[in-house]
Amino acid sequence: MYRTAFLLAGLCLAWLVAAPAGADEAKKRYPKAPDANVPIIPAAWKDAPKSPATPAEIDRLLEQHLKADKLTASPRVTDEQFVRRVYLDLTGKVPTAAQSEAFVKDSDPQKRARLIDALLASEAFSRHLAKHWRDVMLSRATSSLVFIRFPRQSALEQWLFEQFQAKKSWGEISRDLLTAEGGLKLTEPTKNGQVGFLMAHAQADAAVERASDTARVFLGIQIQCAQCHDHPSDIWKRQQFHELTAFFGKLAERPVFAEPQGQGQQRRIEGFRLAARPFGEYRMPDRDDPKKTYAVQPRFLTGDAPPPARTDLDRRKALAKFVTAPDNYWFSAAFANRVWGDLTGQGFYQPVDNMGPLQEATYPDVLFRLAASFRATDYDIRGLYRLVMNTEAYQRQSRVGDSPGDHLRCTARYPTRMSADELWDAVASALGPFPQGPGRGRPGPGGGGPFRRQFGLAFQFRQLFDFDPSIKPDEVEGSVPQALMLMNNQQLNARMKATGDTPLARVLKDHPQDDKAIEQVYLRTLGRKPTPREMRRCREHVKQVGKRAEAFEDILWALVNSTEFQTKR
Amino acid sequence: MPIHDLFLRMTRGQLSRRAFLRTAAAGAAGVSALGWMDAVRLQAEELRKKGLSCILLFMQGGPSQFETFDPKPGASTGGPTRAIDTAVPGVQIAEHWPEMAKQMKDVALIRSMNSREGNHPRAQFLLHTGYVPSGSVKYPSFGAHVASELGSPDFDLPHFVSISGGGGGGMPPAGSGFLGMQYAPFVVQNPTRLPLNTELPRGVDEKVLKRRLGLLDDLEKDFAEAGARPKVEDHRALYGTASQMVLSPRLKAFDVAQEKDALRERYGKNNFGQACLLARRLVETGVTFVEVLHGNWDTHQDNFERTKALSAPVDRGFAALVGDLKERGLLEKTLVVWMGEFGRTPNINGRTGRDHYPRAFSVALAGCGIKGGAVIGATTKDGRNIAERPVGVPDLFCTLCKALKINPRKETLSNAIGGRPIKIVDGGQAVKELFA
Repeated sequence: MYRTAFLLAGLCLAWLVAAPAGADEAKKRYPKAPDANVPIIPAAWKDAPKSPATPAEIDRLLEQHLKADKLTASPRVTDEQFVRRVYLDLTGKVPTAAQSEAFVKDSDPQKRARLIDALLASEAFSRHLAKHWRDVMLSRATSSLVFIRFPRQSALEQWLFEQFQAKKSWGEISRDLLTAEGGLKLTEPTKNGQVGFLMAHAQADAAVERASDTARVFLGIQIQCAQCHDHPSDIWKRQQFHELTAFFGKLAERPVFAEPQGQGQQRRIEGFRLAARPFGEYRMPDRDDPKKTYAVQPRFLTGDAPPPARTDLDRRKALAKFVTAPDNYWFSAAFANRVWGDLTGQGFYQPVDNMGPLQEATYPDVLFRLAASFRATDYDIRGLYRLVMNTEAYQRQSRVGDSPGDHLRCTARYPTRMSADELWDAVASALGPFPQGPGRGRPGPGGGGPFRRQFGLAFQFRQLFDFDPSIKPDEVEGSVPQALMLMNNQQLNARMKATGDTPLARVLKDHPQDDKAIEQVYLRTLGRKPTPREMRRCREHVKQVGKRAEAFEDILWALVNSTEFQTKR
Repeated sequence: MPIHDLFLRMTRGQLSRRAFLRTAAAGAAGVSALGWMDAVRLQAEELRKKGLSCILLFMQGGPSQFETFDPKPGASTGGPTRAIDTAVPGVQIAEHWPEMAKQMKDVALIRSMNSREGNHPRAQFLLHTGYVPSGSVKYPSFGAHVASELGSPDFDLPHFVSISGGGGGGMPPAGSGFLGMQYAPFVVQNPTRLPLNTELPRGVDEKVLKRRLGLLDDLEKDFAEAGARPKVEDHRALYGTASQMVLSPRLKAFDVAQEKDALRERYGKNNFGQACLLARRLVETGVTFVEVLHGNWDTHQDNFERTKALSAPVDRGFAALVGDLKERGLLEKTLVVWMGEFGRTPNINGRTGRDHYPRAFSVALAGCGIKGGAVIGATTKDGRNIAERPVGVPDLFCTLCKALKINPRKETLSNAIGGRPIKIVDGGQAVKELFA
């Protein structure tokens, strides 16, 4: 709870409680004082193009900027780099050696576009996207009630997967998440994930947290900074924050009880469900005396009030309509910005969920065109991915700027860390399969079943490497326990051996020539062939160590422990 | 050449190579920075010889001062909590702390702590760093500063360790910020077990590990040159720290099972007690800063029963720690700090709970020259306000710096745009009455 709420609070400058030095610092950093005359929706959005953009159009817009800023774009990625990048971006998995080699050998000039289409149509894309958005939505979850927390992750992922598979639009998905009903049960950890977004928060501060996450996830706006005082660096007023919160003012949660086992037995709680509060309105606290509160009616950020609605569901339906309305620029732009950020490493707004009328952006006109295109296709998710990935901008080689925090201004891809799921898949693909042992640790409430496997290596690994996908990529840091896991973990190392029924043993048997074997090890781990220098060094290593098996174990270990292994480049 | 050379010989690592080059490129700023760093380096070498360390016992959630070190029996706000006498005549603490009462001659109290942060994450950050969270500056945890100032660069274990002491206590509220990964807290999830993956796997010994690390270094070169150099360097530094730890003969300091059973009993056979024991072992071995997180003290409901349950292991562990350190002659060199992010309200709410109260709360200190038995400041009879000698968070941090012989005004280049220097503590004055 502390970690996720801390991330929210960490973005809020302590304007009112800071010493005078703090207030000066705020003024220096945000010279544009919040201006009530700045429109919430850019005026040009009304007349934005109603046709989908083409990749060439986006590239042209960017080219003008690069020329004006006198920047040179990085060269195009090689086929070998492209195939690894695209597989990771769309399926979250490194391509197999066979997949990689087949792509490189293919002589079709359209092969890149075809590969993008093929992967977009795959189930793996839906699954990958579902995991990503599950993390985006639950990274800031504040409810740690075990009955909610255990099923929430898998249920939300499953629901999102089904929506993406059914090719639902982002508009529909967003509306469904905001108007969800029902609940989550420990014993049914994949059912009714539609409530997963709302169930990220529960009880005491749920309304406030739900409003904050609605703005952050669907509009890219960090409105929670305006909870206690007017937002220090954007136009949001405190009143607006609380009026947005009022949309959730009648939503509460109730426990779901299991059937009593026998006579006189206490009923066990097996889950929680959303429930409507029949009476009472959301009350916002007075700024100076938190004990005084005022009832607040819901009003959207644009100032629009919903039609008078008495039920909680009607209210949330109205909110969903406002959020996903075609005239709401931020709805379209937030998704487009995040996709651009996911695919190139850096969004036009950084962090990707810190947008708004007064926030700084790189090339906002390009984002504008992407957002218009997204709207014109009725928020077709695959369409947007197809558009971005067929640009020259997406297909540039990767590099970091002079300072890790520098924005590359779309001249190159920024290398980013793989998510915990992606990294585990890379490990499993290079070293797997792992022998299924009994899961260690007690099963969670609800007995065995889906919980037993949860405490094994895969679970531990994912917990260790997990991070919030919305933070800036240069702020994702490694830790000593992560290094220790890859360096020393007994189970992982057992799979790196050159003897027994391991991937390495098979490679060494199938490829008695060292060069071929080295190549295969590289393809299995990094999805590419070694460079001439790397090949020389590996050959040298085999000679130095003297024993082929041991030398190759070292090489495999080095590749799994390399920076590149964890990086999407 | 000389500048570059001198820098590389600076083993403190406070300034990353990249940041230094940025400053040097700024021309005049680079030249004056040289003189400043020279002075810093000399001071650093003196400090290292002192061998001081710090153990922080952090009660997450905001422990009630009424039910710990500032009881108000008889007042309408005091609730059912009674007060007991301690080894220091005239000083009483809450009834659930009998072991600490016996230890009081070595412990000082500040009853007049106050801050303006009543929000958990912000207040935890404030009480860990001395600053409120900022979007532009990554303030380091005080532990990271202490590790950076006092940690010996030859030391092969992490300088800063954070132990989860149970009761729901979790992740450290602040990391090493702009001081970098070298001073990041190493998190121990379970004090009764060796940290995971610190044993070399079967078939791998020190020779093989070193051979592998050498190979890894070489194989990263092309990736670094292809545009990922800073990431490769960070990765290498991380692996350096991790492998050093694994190969260290001092790694067994993490194994509390090596202690006699009777001593383990004395600390209490629970996660908090064992975490305190682990903390003692770690500082004995040379770790500079150890924090033990315990929670969850956020008693908005059922305050009295819950605080009683929470106090039991902490009373025992804290007292055992101070006693054990004293018996081993380590208390003069080890600063022990007990605190939470704020206190709790004098008013008892409708759920028999107390809510957040940063206006007046308590902190306990021992060791490193702190005057045992001293009580600084006081609250009014009903505990609503500070009656005398208010102590703010910067004052507290200056006091900790004084005990550890660290200069609170020392500046370090931060990550803020332009590399703005940030002091260890901004403002505040040490509480002189705590020192002889």
